[in-house]
Amino acid sequence: MLRKIECFIQPSQLDRIKEALIEVNVDGMSISEVKGFGRQRGHLNGEKPSKEVKFLPKTKIEIVVDEELVDSTIKIIVKLGRTGKIGAGKIFVIPVEDAIRVRTSEAGRSAIL
Amino acid sequence: MSVGIKKSVLDMALSRLDDAMDNIDISDGLKEYIREPRKSVEVSVTVKKDKGDIEIYRGWRVQHNTNRGPAKGGIRYHPDTNLDDIKALALLMTLKCAVVGIPFGGSKGGVAVDPSALSLRELENLTRRYTFEIINIIGPERDIPAPDVGTNAQVMAWIMDTYSMDKGYTVPGVVTGKPIELGGSLGREEATGRGVVYSVLSALKVNHIETTDLTVAIQGFGNVGSNAAKILYDLGFKIVAISDIGGTVYNKNGIDPYKAYEYTKVKGTVAGLKDAETLEREEIFNLPCNILIPAALGNQIKASNAGNIKARFIAEGANAPTTLEADRILQDRGIFIIPDILCNAGGVTVSYFEWVQGNDSYFWSKREVQLKLRDIMEKAFYEVYKISRDRKVDMRKAAMISGVSRVAEAVKLRGIYP
Repeated sequence: MLRKIECFIQPSQLDRIKEALIEVNVDGMSISEVKGFGRQRGHLNGEKPSKEVKFLPKTKIEIVVDEELVDSTIKIIVKLGRTGKIGAGKIFVIPVEDAIRVRTSEAGRSAIL
Repeated sequence: MSVGIKKSVLDMALSRLDDAMDNIDISDGLKEYIREPRKSVEVSVTVKKDKGDIEIYRGWRVQHNTNRGPAKGGIRYHPDTNLDDIKALALLMTLKCAVVGIPFGGSKGGVAVDPSALSLRELENLTRRYTFEIINIIGPERDIPAPDVGTNAQVMAWIMDTYSMDKGYTVPGVVTGKPIELGGSLGREEATGRGVVYSVLSALKVNHIETTDLTVAIQGFGNVGSNAAKILYDLGFKIVAISDIGGTVYNKNGIDPYKAYEYTKVKGTVAGLKDAETLEREEIFNLPCNILIPAALGNQIKASNAGNIKARFIAEGANAPTTLEADRILQDRGIFIIPDILCNAGGVTVSYFEWVQGNDSYFWSKREVQLKLRDIMEKAFYEVYKISRDRKVDMRKAAMISGVSRVAEAVKLRGIYP
């Protein structure tokens, strides 16, 4: 089964995560610059969370992998995504019903390998 | 049963059960019904030894309760096994299945034998003969054995084969904890240890403790202890102490449980492990750590050592590791105990998954098993925690209340036959 790993990380951590994932043969990923907030409502370390909500810049990475690779991929993102501070990010794992490569119509695992 | 102040595991289990039943609204008759095993069988297990002589071992199978579904429980091979212990463990199985909400009753079996003193052929013959002696009371819809102390996947395969030969067709659903090749579930081997870890994580969460830099001591380094240690280590916990039959090893900077496990496979014990200090076995209860995981046999945490325990959390990977007196001491000291029937229910939960997969003739991925296990363990933890908060009782009593209420409800709904 295929799974999509969708994660929100600090932009500063992107490069090392990208390099490490390429090392373990992750064959593709998409990134987008997004804005978001979590439990701290966008307030950084030390600031008092108030009712006012601030959006902070985050990087979203989307990777589709075979189920077998989910744990090892998550492990890398967690290890390299850590900043030692709150707001380091979150990872979501989402089931993917199918994948199709447009050029060849290959489907399923073949579409991502 | 020993006399005097030392209580048997059965007395302890019944006393805790009575205590829990006093907290719920059920009749005296129903209380008595829930206390008593439904069926209790003693058998002679006759084995022809390699040298030609005959030896007879005592064996038992106790089905405590089947109101919520077929009975489910392990088979242990241990020289100290006796009927009272089996009855107690069967009762705990009934409650355990109810606590995590899987549709099984409880049972337990055992043979009073030291399996390490038998050859492989003798062990197989013992297993097949024991299976034959209880063959009419087990089955996928009746009572489903699983591995326990002194038994493993190979023993389950022999039970499955013996049962299948008797029926004339292959019946994978008669046991769980089978080898993968015979319909075992991925993730079953590590399930109890993994369940212990999920319980620990939930306990830390509700106590608002971050999981970074926490230290763990593991008492007993068999299936449960070693798997819990490895999974916690992977999550960034520091395993500072491990004990087994040969002694305790300690390193305040942490021990790699993968290396320790490889070492025990060669040496038979953790004692003497490199990069760690070897201490007396009992020392495991005195060492500084945040989390203590008893994962050996019962009655290990006693009045004599409970006062020395430094951990703030105790996760009972073993069955009935804490005596009643020790329980009181630990409660008074404000130590958070995740009780056995909740903490080590991961094993029976994945057994249930294996049974479901067997009945469906279908198989799940390891990840699917792990996610479903986590879901069930967390849900059960939060249900028990809520009872504990609402009724202002400790986690053990809360777990007993959760389990026994479900059993009582099942009995009420089904009524008493005829």
